[in-house]
Amino acid sequence: MAVVTETTKFGKIFWPVLAWIVALTFFFPIFWMVFTSFKTDADSVKPEYLFVFKPTLENYINMTDNYDYWRFALNSLITASFATTFALFVGVPCAYVMAFNPTRRTKDILLWMLSTKMLPAAAVLYPMTFLTKNFLNIFDTHFLIILVLCLINLPIVIWMLFTYFKEIPKEILEAGKMDGANTWGEIKDILLPLAWGGLASTALLCFIFCWNEAYWTVRLTTTDAATLSKLIEGNRAPEGLFFGRLSAVSTAAVGPIVVLGWFCQKQLVQGLTFGAVK
Amino acid sequence: MSDKSLLRLLQAPAIILLLLWMLIPLGMTLYFSFIRYVLNSLRRPEWTTPSLSNWRGFGNYEYVMYKSKDFWFAVQNSVFIVGCILILTVVLGLAIAMLINRQFPGRGVVRVLLISPFFVMPAVNAVLWINMILDPVLGLNGLAVESFNQTIKSLHDFPVLGTFFSMWPEFKPVSFRSTQTSAYAVVIMVAWQWTPFAVLIFMTSLQSEDQQQKEAAILDGANKWSQFRNLTLPHLARPIAIVIMIQSIFHLSLYAEIEIVSRGNGNKNLPYLIGEFTSNNIGAASATGIFAVILANIVAIFLLRMVGKSLMD
Repeated sequence: MAVVTETTKFGKIFWPVLAWIVALTFFFPIFWMVFTSFKTDADSVKPEYLFVFKPTLENYINMTDNYDYWRFALNSLITASFATTFALFVGVPCAYVMAFNPTRRTKDILLWMLSTKMLPAAAVLYPMTFLTKNFLNIFDTHFLIILVLCLINLPIVIWMLFTYFKEIPKEILEAGKMDGANTWGEIKDILLPLAWGGLASTALLCFIFCWNEAYWTVRLTTTDAATLSKLIEGNRAPEGLFFGRLSAVSTAAVGPIVVLGWFCQKQLVQGLTFGAVK
Repeated sequence: MSDKSLLRLLQAPAIILLLLWMLIPLGMTLYFSFIRYVLNSLRRPEWTTPSLSNWRGFGNYEYVMYKSKDFWFAVQNSVFIVGCILILTVVLGLAIAMLINRQFPGRGVVRVLLISPFFVMPAVNAVLWINMILDPVLGLNGLAVESFNQTIKSLHDFPVLGTFFSMWPEFKPVSFRSTQTSAYAVVIMVAWQWTPFAVLIFMTSLQSEDQQQKEAAILDGANKWSQFRNLTLPHLARPIAIVIMIQSIFHLSLYAEIEIVSRGNGNKNLPYLIGEFTSNNIGAASATGIFAVILANIVAIFLLRMVGKSLMD
């Protein structure tokens, strides 16, 4: 590991202190959001209560009354978890074939899958609205949001699984085949237990992306399937009167995901760079 | 069932799903971009249903490019926003990655604090920054400038120095709600969110740097800067390129931030312009959409080349 070790006394103090300052600066907006969420709406805009104030939980207690938070949170949870599950169900067999039985076309298929991710969502906004509203009648349903979230994350899921599977020695699977395992047995009994860690981090990352998605979840929902992104987007301009309650609902919306994110930093690099950076 | 067809069958669902996802909506956009299609028209009700008899050829493209006043501004603004974000995130990302690539107490905590912004959902990011931090009256921006002015004012009564401070002009906080400044606001908030991503990738890559080469360079008397220039930077060339490509793809379709920060104030990028057209003129929206696809593809080709190469080894 190429980690710098400081030799001079100045460097030993200065650089770590600078690193801490930078880290705290980057974290400050999140801290400020959490901090403000404990102020009342009235206190949150008064300069005299900027740092010293009487903390209150009322913003969190009233979150359901103010914003109907739990309904949106439940929608986010349902859509993100089902989309992740489906993406894994479709992605695992595909990545398995690509990693262990590649053909000449496998590389092209992988690159093509990646290219679907590069399609700007806005370009197909109207067709999607048109299809789902007038034609299929699934506009603003959980089903639609699950389907879309699954599709936009499928390329990343397959790529991540592919890079994990590729690291498993082929011989282990072949040994299983010798013992008479069929393809299904191979996936279930040999591959999945071996790739458990990779599978979990793929799922975690996919879930995070689904939860944070802010284009389709906003444009393809109105009320029934509206997620937290839609909720926050709908309260974009509180005119300064509701900083307290807005901070509370924002904290509740991002808190779980930020904590989940801490656990998959490494996977993020692999997942988002498609294994090109190691 | 033979082995080969089983393998095909296992791959099929993913490929078919993605194929449908790509072809159907994109095909419709392409079709709509060549016909006259509006949602409401009292004068020409026949235009409100998509049909081949309303064929317009490249008319929508011409309309978007030459007659609608916002298209070129939106293209320019898209590129401006993406460019600024890229410069900021790559430079800051490099600096921070170098900074924390050393042993010091609390390194793990520093990493966790640094990566956190990346997981904040875009809608929250925008609402948080534009209201609570950048707002010229109630946000920290306004409060900071206000308290600075107050401090200067209280110094007016000071002997001797007071005359100096009374000549000091009163500062006004920058408002991030106008067309130009709200683009800066978008740049700030997105750079805040994506710098951690760059840091993470550069750090991962720094850890695989060849240590022996570096030691040899030190023995040869190379200073810190030339070590960085001649060893580290070439080593990071590929991660930098990848950070640039991936971010361009994400930020060319930036939407939530623009929608929240800039609604109605004229600051728009291509996705936002498409959204505006979609409220009535579907033909124009589709033509703009095709332009956005072309722009994204120019970037994508480079990325696919790079990733394709790494796939070989």
